[in-house]
Amino acid sequence: MTILNESGIPDVLPPLHAVNGLAERLPDVLVVVVGTQAEAHLVQCLSAVPSPNLPPSRRDQRVIFAIIDPNDPPQQGLLASRIVESAAGLRGTSLVLLVAGRTAESLGVDAEFEARLVARKLDLPSEVVNPDAPREVPGILSTDLEDRVLTVLVNLCPKRKTSDLVETASPAKRGGLFGGLLGRGIEPSDSNDGRPVVLLGGTLKPGAAQGLAAELSRAGVEVAGAVPGSGMGELPPLGEGTVVAVMDPNLSSAATAAERRGATVVKTLMPVGVDGTARFVQDVAEEAGTRISEVARARSAWEDLGVLRNRIRGKRIFFTGDTGLEIPLARFLADAGAVVLEVGAPRLDRRFLAAELQTLGPDVDVVVSPDYRGQTNRIDESRPDVVISSPGLHLPLVARGHLCRSPRDFLEAGHYGYGGARRILELLVRTMDRAETLDSLNL
Amino acid sequence: MKLLRGVYEGPQSYGILRVAASIRGVHALLRALPGEAYFRTLHGARERTGEMAPVTLSPLREGRDSSMAPGNLVRDLSGVVRRHPKTEIVILVRSEASLLAGETIPATTLPEVEGTGRPPELVKFPWEEPAMRETEAAELALEDLIRARMHDRPERSPYPTVNLFGPPIFGPGAMAEYAEAERLLDMVGVEVNARVPLGANTGDLGRLPRAWANVLLYREVGESATLYLQDEFGMPRVTTPMIGAAGTGAALRAVGELCQLDPKSVQRTIWAELARTAKLPWYARLEPPETFQNRRVAIFGDFTYPLGLGYALAREVGLEVTACGTYLTHLERDFLFHAHTFTEGAFVEDDPDEVAARIEAAKPDLVVGTHLEQGVADSLGVPFLPLCPPVADRPFVGRPLMGYAGSSVLADALDNALRRASVEPAGEAGMQWTDGALQEAAEVPLFLRGRARRLAEERARRQGSGMVTRDIFLESRS
Repeated sequence: MTILNESGIPDVLPPLHAVNGLAERLPDVLVVVVGTQAEAHLVQCLSAVPSPNLPPSRRDQRVIFAIIDPNDPPQQGLLASRIVESAAGLRGTSLVLLVAGRTAESLGVDAEFEARLVARKLDLPSEVVNPDAPREVPGILSTDLEDRVLTVLVNLCPKRKTSDLVETASPAKRGGLFGGLLGRGIEPSDSNDGRPVVLLGGTLKPGAAQGLAAELSRAGVEVAGAVPGSGMGELPPLGEGTVVAVMDPNLSSAATAAERRGATVVKTLMPVGVDGTARFVQDVAEEAGTRISEVARARSAWEDLGVLRNRIRGKRIFFTGDTGLEIPLARFLADAGAVVLEVGAPRLDRRFLAAELQTLGPDVDVVVSPDYRGQTNRIDESRPDVVISSPGLHLPLVARGHLCRSPRDFLEAGHYGYGGARRILELLVRTMDRAETLDSLNL
Repeated sequence: MKLLRGVYEGPQSYGILRVAASIRGVHALLRALPGEAYFRTLHGARERTGEMAPVTLSPLREGRDSSMAPGNLVRDLSGVVRRHPKTEIVILVRSEASLLAGETIPATTLPEVEGTGRPPELVKFPWEEPAMRETEAAELALEDLIRARMHDRPERSPYPTVNLFGPPIFGPGAMAEYAEAERLLDMVGVEVNARVPLGANTGDLGRLPRAWANVLLYREVGESATLYLQDEFGMPRVTTPMIGAAGTGAALRAVGELCQLDPKSVQRTIWAELARTAKLPWYARLEPPETFQNRRVAIFGDFTYPLGLGYALAREVGLEVTACGTYLTHLERDFLFHAHTFTEGAFVEDDPDEVAARIEAAKPDLVVGTHLEQGVADSLGVPFLPLCPPVADRPFVGRPLMGYAGSSVLADALDNALRRASVEPAGEAGMQWTDGALQEAAEVPLFLRGRARRLAEERARRQGSGMVTRDIFLESRS
């Protein structure tokens, strides 16, 4: 594996686009986008799950735009009181998120203050998400807002201290807000060395974590829940004594937040592909106090994929990079016999992705902050069989005769776990089959 | 500060980019945060042609500028010239964030293009400011681009020609509007000198004064450019919206007059078209008067479309226009002046919730609007025609609303909408509401209230209750 830095302009969908998707995914959250006409327009134009064929944007009543007139910036506290008024009409709100970036800041809005005011007046948690806040590693991914929202959710999870561990486990005390969740799921193991696992990720696909949770419980691990799970009311306890299993490679700040709360974040592969899932389950289980071997399971899953792997073998795949999901996908596909020409990484957190990068095959080039024009040229020269492309390049590349899929298509199909490995390969094979059918037509 | 649930217009940079992307030979350098560069993606998704939008990002970065990475404005400008040697005009567009950051734009010249030995023209827009909106900026940018190309005074063409000033890129039927206008002008014997901005190239901009007159299809964007051409070159304008059979006829006659055509021959063409292509008058005559009697319509949109459609629906079809509004607040006076000729309910508003409330108060049987009015039409349970920009449709084949062909498109749309509406059973009137239920309903956001009311009444009916109680209302909402 080689890592190059191209210092170019990557083609990345603006992270702010995710507001719609998040509002849909977290139905008890009120999202207030603070800024000017520009932010509101962006959020409205780029719909929930962007694909090359953007579906018409829908209005979600849980997304509100606070548009500030640059010539007449509001007084402190006005924003908060307007938000309180708007929230009054919405039932079942349990969190108010203020998405306030650089524009809001330069207009003199103190978002933290307004959020505290909203929290006090509504008696609800209210947090600020700053999409433009600097990150440790430079660069931008289209999934950055999800990461930041998950960071907020991680911090809102109820804390769980070692001393509570015994108490929570005793049935008598299990009546609290989150006790029900524990009781409904898997019974906490009686042995004290078994630590509950919280899955982190799967933001845009509801139910994405369930398959993995089942896989882990099969291994005898107690899964306390998932973040974001199915909403604010069901956030699992997360703190000292919790094991956090990160499902997506683009959640570095959420993972850091979990670590800061004292949870153990498992450093392992993402649960993508056969190898990835096996390592994930094994390492998470071990951290949670259960030793298991996934070798047999992985081997049989691998053999089951034989026919599909044969179809992929030797196919040349190019990842332009957009969501950050590309690296585990490339790792799995290279394993399965595909030739990965390039993996674009608009941002690459080498420390967070150490395990992934180590496992990435020797022939794979990772290009950090790739230039989309350079990539287009390289794609034209190397003519890959499939390009996993970002939304902005999708149509131009298709028009140049390349076969394209969006990284989000894999997410939609459900790419986690052993079943996900099959779905990833099937999706690619289906794509190539269809292209072949269309190519054979005499137009 | 305003709390809105949607916006009708984008920021100024978006308007300028729409104009820039409409004209071949123009390349825009967008100074913006990396997270603001969505125009290229949107262009791909809206146009679906596979062409890359002529926009390059110059990312606004903080900190030192030591690396060779993009972000240095001067270097990025020369990069555009190097990468796009066919570009004749490079424009510098600044996003809200760039404007608010208050960075100074260095005076710079562009390098020469290899081979030609001269640099492309650099056009900057000193009037850009963060509070400005899409349409106004598009209008000013078009004027500036035309001014930048007016190097000499071209000869007037020996035969009658006109320029078409139509909508910019992303209007779902924008291309079709130009094509229909050009078809009709061709029939009366007037050639189109240039389509501006969509379909023009930079050379066309310099040749605009060849034409005898300017026909404004879309005043929102063409107004100040045509006024400039009128002042500078004495070019007359035709401003009647070419919507509906009457509007189209009036526009064609005005063009005929300005181009000194024989009025009788223009009239013959109009009659022939009325017989063959224009189906709106035919539809109006064919339907029994009862179809339109006491049918109210609410219209909302930009400027040209609501006014043109309002006039056509009120006069040519005979619907009662009980509300007609625009979100273009900077055209308020003009809009109200024109709208008052056919409606009492003219208004200017840019908050979708308020618009929804206005439309609801107008008790329409049909809503014509932008895609943001879909919700209120749904909640009122009346048919909805998304005929005013912005709309979310991205058809592969654009259909015109202007001209005679456009009048037939309108007739079809009305025929479908009004027929469907008349088949639907009318909701039982007179459902009673308890005070508790009314209080709860008042808490629902305005634009959802109609729907909530309807759902609650349906639920009460299903339960066999003649009265909507607080419980029924809450159940219907859960």
